[in-house]
Amino acid sequence: MLEARIKMQLGSDRTHLFTIDVDIKATDGITVLFGPSGAGKTSILRTIAGILIPDSGRITLGNRIYFDSSSGECLSIQQRRVGYVFQNHLLFPHLTAEQNVLYGVRDHSRYSARKRVRELLSLLGVRTTARRYPGELSGGEQQRIALARALASDPSIMLLDEPLSAVDVATRTRLLEEISAVQRKSGIPFLYVTHNHSEAVRLGSAMYVIHEGSIVQEGTPLEIFNSPRSASAARVVGTENVFAGDVVEHRPGDGTTVMDIQSCRIEVPYNGLPLGSRVTVGIRSEDIIISREHLTQTSARNVLKGVVKHIILDADKAELVVSCGVDFKVSITPATIRILNLETGTEIYMLIKARAMHLLA
Amino acid sequence: MIWDTLKLSLLVVSIATILIGLIGTAFGFLLARRTFRGKDILDAVLTLPMILPPTVTGYYLILILGKRGLLGRPLYDLTGWSITFTWQAAVIAATVIALPLMIKSARAAIESVNVEYEVASRIMGKSEWETFLRITLPLAGRGLLAGIVLSFARAFGEFGATLMIAGNIPGKTQTMTVGIWEAMVSGEDERAKWLALILTCISVTVVYLTNRLTRSNKSN
Repeated sequence: MLEARIKMQLGSDRTHLFTIDVDIKATDGITVLFGPSGAGKTSILRTIAGILIPDSGRITLGNRIYFDSSSGECLSIQQRRVGYVFQNHLLFPHLTAEQNVLYGVRDHSRYSARKRVRELLSLLGVRTTARRYPGELSGGEQQRIALARALASDPSIMLLDEPLSAVDVATRTRLLEEISAVQRKSGIPFLYVTHNHSEAVRLGSAMYVIHEGSIVQEGTPLEIFNSPRSASAARVVGTENVFAGDVVEHRPGDGTTVMDIQSCRIEVPYNGLPLGSRVTVGIRSEDIIISREHLTQTSARNVLKGVVKHIILDADKAELVVSCGVDFKVSITPATIRILNLETGTEIYMLIKARAMHLLA
Repeated sequence: MIWDTLKLSLLVVSIATILIGLIGTAFGFLLARRTFRGKDILDAVLTLPMILPPTVTGYYLILILGKRGLLGRPLYDLTGWSITFTWQAAVIAATVIALPLMIKSARAAIESVNVEYEVASRIMGKSEWETFLRITLPLAGRGLLAGIVLSFARAFGEFGATLMIAGNIPGKTQTMTVGIWEAMVSGEDERAKWLALILTCISVTVVYLTNRLTRSNKSN
């Protein structure tokens, strides 16, 4: 298990940006660091890898001490045995895919090193790219090679910095599964930085929401996306409602599929998935219409009755948390609050088009 | 005579180029990748031989290496040998004069390598030295090579400082440039012509190669 207590000022004294002050634990699963760019997520990874040295704190992995400001211990980058996947791959351009992976292998004889490289390339389905240079690989292939290279050093922990930000959606879906599989196979903790909801939901067994260098919430991704505990957490996780639900009925004639999300039944665009499959649905909070009356003559396939749980009011926008068994975030204008006379406890109806509900990869 | 001069010039320049390549790359790396106090001053001092007239640089070299010089005297007292007026002095003159060119090229070449590649290598457990040899050096390779070729050309054309510290002893310290000068002042026009022709050919080849190298560097 990784335990990292890190305190570090970013920028110099003059250009002081903010201070990172976090306490992170990552067990043998994928732990997601979620937050907007510039929140300090990458700096946290770099501190664990030993590229940056914190002002104070303690970083341990199992019984190995990477850094301890009280005893002055600090392992060098080389000694930490960390696998690192960079946002822009950073494959060495003068080496072939195979040589890149081979470069990562440690402590092996030449023969067993080559064997290890072949294993890794097969594991990630990129055996055929072995002799190509990074410039000749697609984004997805580059990412697989980067992953293989990081794994080649038999790391004790993997740090992944938005590894999928540069690949297309279809490749991303496949790579998410592969990363998950690789993690289970390796049995080491993965720390995964992203600001993408579906990546967080699909991969994360635990998640930390980072905002300006601090943890604003921790929990499972779904838990956090559905009920951010503070205004800053809500702002970071954004306007997306994310629910896990089960497919209960298909209505191909209507073009819809019915799903249960806990006690709430919703219609989403027809997807043809087997009944009973568990999928993740996203609804942007701006796509939800609020009404005080129960409208029947409407194109919205979902009219859900709920109760206003919280009102978060900003200068120019407002967010409601509406409970109808599950909590929905709804973005509205302050004018709506005034005109509809909304307050905590008000009963309202939410109108959501089936088309506004999208399945997350 | 021409053959002797050419041979000596090639010997001097070859050794000087090797020294320049090694020292220049080391200083280029230092300036590109390290921050330390007095870095700007070091940079300025290392650039001096490029700015100063070569005779002035030669004069300073005598102050340092001459029989009564800063380093020359202890060396002479210890071994009875002085470097002035030897072919080794010509090597030092050529090295010192052409070094700034190599340092500037090497610094630019190394700075053009994304430092994150080096970080990635160290994360994979490689030492700084291994990272330098296997990542930085190959990635900066073309720029370094171009710098070496340019320095070679500059060292080959060295005249002022060489004359000051190595003098003009035919067959011993007389390099091509010095040979041309001597041939001219003593009226040996034919010799001067041939020496000048050979030197021009070598220089043209070198410039041509440099252009090709730097062009393919850009297209990369």
